[in-house]
Order: sequence, then structure tokens, then C-alpha cells
Amino acid sequence: MRGERFKRLQQQLEAQGVDGLVLLGSSSVAYATGAGAPAQDGDRAALFRTVAVVVKGDSAPHIYTPFADGAPAELPDDRLHGPLFPDLDDGIDAFANELTEHFGSGARVGVDDQTHAMLRGLPTFEWIDASDVVSPAKLTKTPDEIACLRNAQRLNELAMTDALAALRPGVRQIDLSAVFLRRVFELGASANGIDPIWQVMAPTRELGPWTLHGDLAYPTVTTDRFLRDGDVIWVDSGISWHGYASDYGRTWTTGAGPNAKQQEHFRRWRTVVDAALDVLEPGVSALELGKAAIDANDGVRPWIEHFYLAHGVGTDSAEMPLIGTDLGESFDERLIMQPGMVLVLEPVIWEDGHAGYRSEDIVAVTDTGWVKLSGSTYEPYGVETCP
Amino acid sequence: MPVARDRGVFIGTMGLEDDARVDFTRLRAQRRAKVFSGMETHDLDALMLGGVGNIRYVSGARQLGRAGVLPFAPVTVAVRKTERVHLLSTWDEGVPPEVGRDDLYRMSWNPANLAGDLAKIPGLRDARRVGTDGMTPMFATLIRELVTKADLVDASPLMTTARQTKTPDEILCVEVASAIAEAALTAMKDALAPDITERELLAIYHERIASLGAPMPPSEDVCSVTPSSVTLAPGALYAGYEAGLARTRPADSESATRCASAMDALVAACRPGNTGADLYRAWEGTGNADPGLPLAHGLGLGAEPPLIGLGRGRDAAIAEGMVLSVQSWVAEPGIGGCLQRDTVLVESGGPRLLTRYGRL
Repeated sequence: MRGERFKRLQQQLEAQGVDGLVLLGSSSVAYATGAGAPAQDGDRAALFRTVAVVVKGDSAPHIYTPFADGAPAELPDDRLHGPLFPDLDDGIDAFANELTEHFGSGARVGVDDQTHAMLRGLPTFEWIDASDVVSPAKLTKTPDEIACLRNAQRLNELAMTDALAALRPGVRQIDLSAVFLRRVFELGASANGIDPIWQVMAPTRELGPWTLHGDLAYPTVTTDRFLRDGDVIWVDSGISWHGYASDYGRTWTTGAGPNAKQQEHFRRWRTVVDAALDVLEPGVSALELGKAAIDANDGVRPWIEHFYLAHGVGTDSAEMPLIGTDLGESFDERLIMQPGMVLVLEPVIWEDGHAGYRSEDIVAVTDTGWVKLSGSTYEPYGVETCP
Repeated sequence: MPVARDRGVFIGTMGLEDDARVDFTRLRAQRRAKVFSGMETHDLDALMLGGVGNIRYVSGARQLGRAGVLPFAPVTVAVRKTERVHLLSTWDEGVPPEVGRDDLYRMSWNPANLAGDLAKIPGLRDARRVGTDGMTPMFATLIRELVTKADLVDASPLMTTARQTKTPDEILCVEVASAIAEAALTAMKDALAPDITERELLAIYHERIASLGAPMPPSEDVCSVTPSSVTLAPGALYAGYEAGLARTRPADSESATRCASAMDALVAACRPGNTGADLYRAWEGTGNADPGLPLAHGLGLGAEPPLIGLGRGRDAAIAEGMVLSVQSWVAEPGIGGCLQRDTVLVESGGPRLLTRYGRL
């Protein structure tokens, strides 16, 4: 898997005439190197970051890390280096010397993040955005990558059965986080990527948080808020396994199970996802998928304005392909489904006055259609319990 | 008459009926005042910041916790002329009242829409000097088109200075984080048994900090189990402020004693007027080998400069009001090692340990 990913990066470097990559962001470093590092909060992750350098035509990446134990076993010894501290001026010359070893002056180099210490202290290359190289490589997944996503998702879903069992009036959002996180690490999660979300959805938009666009606010941050009888909560969590993210999305009800109106929301959500899946196959555009979902929801766009009908998932929790964003219809029209793309479909059904339903279904596009990567249970909702 | 929004029911930490133990309104106001006076001192007309700690420091917003480091993007913007702070947030939940609804700009996937929103921020386009805490080739182009007359400079001299010296409210937050980290250490200690795995300990750690209201850890590098020793190194974040500590149950008491006395020497060097070189000297004076790990680094809204150790930070000044993560790592080749880490506040009279824990 690591070899295939590296080959894809090399193909992109070659095709785009780029001499190499200097990567500082956690997910792009993970993609390019497979180097493991403990999950860390933003500023700690920055100060103690792993840096990856990929040179066009080379057989393996260079890894500069404080976490040498996380380097892949097959990495040649001369590719594993001590840490660089790109956020500090102190020692930036060491970074500059390394890059001079890898690239000639005037080289065209992709970079995903630049600190001011780098802007001051590194040689002047023709810097371009690394995403021009990394995003196309990541756009479709290999079978091994899909297996990793499937396993990450399985662990996430298994731990969520414990969290759902703990849900009752009087439990706090953080209590659910505690149950979920304990279980998911026992089960084998490599890292937690995001503070688990258990957002209480007020029955109307007006009762929920104020928003710039007038549509729903989601996701809002977990606190010690009490979950009370009748609360509809939208759950979202993302743990990772060997660098691959999962994305669990479900709607739960607190106290009594879903009522007839709520089951109706679920059925409509299922109808919308099924409509998109009915047309999903290689060659179909993102615009066509969006249109199928809108038509199935009687012409109403079934997703929140700041989000999408679907996003991809890989070493990032949300990455290309993005379907239905503010990148616009012409972007969606040019975004054509290919085998190996992974979609997290997360339409939202909303009936103002009665809240709504949101879940996430993950599928991988195959040569002829799609295969589901996420589980097919939606407790406490379900088709069999529909009136 | 607008409908009252459903904001939920909470208990929270550090709030009692007689008084709030942390005055968050004052905490945010003092941070904000430091930022605007720093803009004056450093002659910056605007700041465009994307670092997690900087966003929190300037805006006071309680944003979704995520692991890892993301490339730079302008998530918060401060404009000196208007004394307003603007924030990328599509909603007002988690946004403090001093950042008004007019000061929010929307989440977008399209850089053109982000640029359009930034262009509407009053006073930003006229800025002559704009400080950022990072850059990408794409944002370099986008920001230069936006603030055509401006020099883009490094915001970190301002932000580092502002963040380094903690206010009493900030120190109280670090103390709460210390207590949460200690609670997590106790939970893991209680679970220690002959067959316990790192995975099980990590699970217990997560459960404990989450149940205390601080589910996002500073780092998941919190436990190490070898055949002869166990090291537990939990941290915690409270209102964004980090504290942490580490203890080892080693195979032999001799290395534990050496580790503890080296720790004492390092902590004693954390005095105003000293520099990183004094910590290096203190370590060398103990006769232990170079640990290959930092001796100390700053703490606040996460890890902060300076970094002392690994050959860096000899010139870094130790100043009153700084909080440091200080650690002693005494390795025994072939056996393992002993780690002690504490959170240390530098006071005028010398160091004060904010984390409290005996031996493991």
C-alpha cells in the first residue's frame, strides 16, 4: 500500500513536471510516508511535526521525525532522519541544508504549509501548492487503502454500539464521549481524529444556533450538556486506523425511540441515498449524483448549505471528491466518478418544527457500480420498525 | 420578539453559585488587549491567523477539537483600526459575545468565496502591514490580491510575546488541566496489572479525561509498557490550556532516584533571568547522558516556544509568568528508562510545580 501510494505521487510529479514535495501537514505526511506518530493537538502537532520530502524519481521518501519508532519497517536507514523544527528559526539552517541536498536551485517544489521561519531561512525554490500533486494521487484508493477505511469504520461502529447503549435521559454529551473513546481504543483504533459530536438538534432552525446562511449549524462542539428526554442528536465521530479515517454519522433519539414522524425522516433519507446510489457508477458526474438526490427529495437540496451531499475520505476525514459544495455546478459537472473513489454520502432531511435525520453511508466506487464500506444498521431507526 | 434559542443545560467546571473560579470574560478581554497593543507595538494593521492556539487566543472561540496540524488558512482576522476580531464560523455557537454576528465569515470550500468574504472585512483591504502565522503558495497569491498595498510579515513575534506571559486566569486554567491530567494518571495507575496493555491504558486515559469534560488530549503518546517498566504520561486541555505530567515505575530504584534528582536540577533552573543554557548546564551537571528528548518547552494554549533541548533553545529567555513542560529522561541501555515530567510555572521567586504527584 505504501509503495503504491508513493508510486502515485511519483506519477503525478512526473506528469506535472514538479521536482519534489516538502510536506508538513499531518495527513499529507501520512499519505506520502506511512510514518506513524501519536495524534496530537494542533499546536503540539505543529511544533513536534514530522516532515516528509519526496524527490522526483526517487524510490522512497525522506522522513524527519521526533517519532522514529513510527517509521515503516521497509524505509531504508538513510531515509530516516532526526526531527526538523520548521516552526522555529533556531535550527532552520539544518532544514535548509537538507533541502539543498535534495533539490537544485530553482527547482519546482510542492509545499503544503510554509512557516515564516521557512520563508526566511530556506533556499528560494519555485514553490507550488503540494495539493496539486497530492490531491490527484489521493483521489482514488487502492484495494489496501479501502480495506483500511473499512476497518477504521468497523471499529468506529462497534464502539458506537456501546455509546448508544449508554444513551438515556440525564447522560451528558461528554459521558458518551467517555464510553465511545474507551471502547474504540480497546478495539484497536490507532488514533482519534476529532472530538466526538453529539449535537442536540432543536426542532426548528430558529431554536438552534444562529447561522450566517439561515440553514442549520452543524457540527457544534461537545460539552457537558445534559441529554434530555426527547432530544434528537446527530452523532459524528472519526477515529483512524493506520492513518485512515473513519466517519460515523447517525441520528439517535433520547428516551423514547423514534416516533412516526422521525421514522418518516429516516425513510426519506434512505430514499435520497438510494437515489444517488442508483445512478452511481464510473462515468457519472458529481452534478448528476446531486441532481438525483435533489429529485428524490422533491426538488429540495437535501444537504446543509455549507456542506455537501458527499465527500471523500482517506488520510483526511474530508477530501476529494466533494459533491455539492460551493465550488459550484461547473466543478461538479467536471468531477467524474472513477473506480476507487470513496464517497461518504451524508444528506440531511429537515422538517422545520420536527428536527430531522442525518446519517452517513460510505461506499467505494467499483468498476461497475459501488460497494458499501459502512454498516447497514441505523438504530434506533430502522425500516422494519416503520409503521 | 425573537424566540430564545435552546442553548442546553450544563453544570460546567469551575463555576459555583458564589462566584466563577475562572473569569472567562476577563481572561478573553486581557488576551485581546494584549493582541491589539501588540499590533500597535509591532506596527501591524491586521492579523490573519490559522494556528489553533492563535485562533483561540485572539478570538476566544471554542472550536471543534481536531488532531493533527492543518496547513495555514486565515481562520481569524484582527483589524487594528476597527479593533474588531473576525472569525471563520458559520454560526455563533461557541463564539464569545465580543465577536459579533457581523464579524463572522462563512465556511467555504471555494477559495474565491473565502476571498470575497475577507474582502468585506472593514479596514482589511487598506492594511499596510499584515501579520500571518503561516502561508501556502495559494494563500500567498490570494492574500496579496486582497491587501494589495500590504507587506506580509511574521505575526509570531507579537503572538509569542503575548502568549508567553500568562495572566492569573490563564494560570488557573493550566491548574485545572493539571488536575485533570493527574486524575487520568490515577485512573491508569489503578488499572496497572501484570497483563495490562498500552492499548487498555490509553482507553482508560481517554475515558477519564472525557468524563471530566476534556475529551481532546494534547497527545495520545501517554503510556509505554515494557517488560520491566511502565511509563504513564497523561496531559489534558482545559479551555484550550495544556498541562501534563509523567511518571515511570522503573525496574530499579536507582534510575528512579537519578531521574528525580535530575528533574529537581532542571526545575530549579526555571527562574526568571535564566536562559535555556542554564537548563542545559543543570542537566549536564547531573552527569546523565543527553536524553535525546526536549528538556523543556513552553505550555499555554497547547505546546508553545521555546523548545529547550535537542540542540535548540540555548538562548531562550526564562521569564516570569511562563509555563513550562519540564522533563527528565534517564535511559538505561538495555533496560529502558525513567521519565519524569511536570508542568512548571515560573514565578518571580522561582519555579512552582503546577502538577502534583508522587512516585508511580
